[in-house]
Amino acid sequence: MAAGSARILVPVGASSTFRNTVAYAVRAARSGVEAGAEAATVHFVSPARGRTDSGNLGDDIAADLLDRAVVWAREDLDRDADDDPAVEIRTAIVGADRYLFSPGDYADAVAEYAAEFGLDRVVVDPGFQPGGNAPMLLPFERELARSSLTVEEAPTTRRTERVPLVSRATLSKGVATFGATYAFYLLIAGSVTPFNLATGALTALLAAAGFSSVSFLTSPSPRRTGARVLRLLLFVPYLVWEITKANLSIAYIILHPSLPIDPEMQRYRAAVWGGFPVTTLGNSITLTPGTLTVDVGREGLDIHTLTGGARDDLAAGGLERAVRFVFYGRSAARIPSPAERGSISAVDDTDTDTDTGSGGSVVIDAVAASRPSDSRASADDSDPRPAAPDAERTGDPGADRPTEPAAESGEEVE
Amino acid sequence: MTPTEILIVALVGGGTFFGFVAVVGIIRLPDLYTRAHATSKSDTLGIVLTLGGVALVFGADLAVAKTALLGLFLFVTNPTAAHAITRAAYDQDITPWTTEGEE
Repeated sequence: MAAGSARILVPVGASSTFRNTVAYAVRAARSGVEAGAEAATVHFVSPARGRTDSGNLGDDIAADLLDRAVVWAREDLDRDADDDPAVEIRTAIVGADRYLFSPGDYADAVAEYAAEFGLDRVVVDPGFQPGGNAPMLLPFERELARSSLTVEEAPTTRRTERVPLVSRATLSKGVATFGATYAFYLLIAGSVTPFNLATGALTALLAAAGFSSVSFLTSPSPRRTGARVLRLLLFVPYLVWEITKANLSIAYIILHPSLPIDPEMQRYRAAVWGGFPVTTLGNSITLTPGTLTVDVGREGLDIHTLTGGARDDLAAGGLERAVRFVFYGRSAARIPSPAERGSISAVDDTDTDTDTGSGGSVVIDAVAASRPSDSRASADDSDPRPAAPDAERTGDPGADRPTEPAAESGEEVE
Repeated sequence: MTPTEILIVALVGGGTFFGFVAVVGIIRLPDLYTRAHATSKSDTLGIVLTLGGVALVFGADLAVAKTALLGLFLFVTNPTAAHAITRAAYDQDITPWTTEGEE
């Protein structure tokens, strides 16, 4: 299998994780040499972009990046060299003779180059943006995998991707924060004496001034929020009932002398989007026993399931429907179950192949579930310096990815 | 004993039972992920049941609203904490225990 090949191509683009990708590619090439591959080589390839009559506009930047990649790669080779295995480093700019537009164009250019030099393994930087700002890393990887290349994403440090914590302050946000805080204050105070009313108003005013732009991402509309709160009130008894039911079965399992558990990781592409709905679903999944949301990523939710029965419940999708009902209304709740949609699958821990459905040997393990544990740990440790200082934060590569659950505020529930 | 008192005892008893289950789970289950199951769920239900008992003891009082709020916050924070812990472990590539690993 080509996964262990030492002939590696690395598409180059400015990103905050590129330094780690270089380190990973170089290490992979070296381990290939140690495993007996004859010609280890790492090619850093930058797609040309921004053509003008007077030459390629972005070439200076690209050349600069390529130079830096070479310096880094040499550095890693020297530092790690015990017996100095020969790893050839080369750079190139591809696609200068044509107009690169779609992910397919980029993939073709890269694949042609790979064929020319007999490279059969592509290490993609998870922050690589073929088209500048547009998030098209996944299509690019899929296109690449159509050829005979082995494609993998370099295991780099998790990038913190979230919408900015502070959003624009609007009046409705201020009013909502003020109202919620004031109501909470008076509830805790337990009386409406002038003193409490005054101090409460002051506190709520300060909270609204300070946090209204943090508590809400979008301006809450009274009607939508009201409808959601009402449906949430219906959701809570259902959730409590589910929790009780499932807790009894967990209690049975835990107290059973032979402890009949069969844990397994499942990946679940839930039909729920946006920070707050995903947080609700994730937390509800965690609350219903037997299932535990471990990670939320571009590929969906990674869920640890304790028993086969819990897996079946998850696949039946009752919770997902309920959450969709709360956030999108009743009509949205009638969708096929995750099992019927085929959007639930086991995360295999022994094999590096994560099935992405496109056949071939696509290895896109963005969540790093399946890597030998030492590789990533050392990728993080071996580079104490910050990544490329001028690394540009181009767009949001995970625009299709649910935002981090922790970044959400619970304020909206009240 | 009035029916209310019986209900209170049942709720608090149930809460204690699930708290007990959580503790047994932490001791018996094989790895971090499975233990997180025990702490995040049985615990939550145990506390919620106990709080329900507490609310009944207070009867029609403002304290009931506060107890309900407490329960609500627990519903949000408990699974979030479990998620944070397990995700940290997952990021460190700690492999979940499976039945195959046992053999």
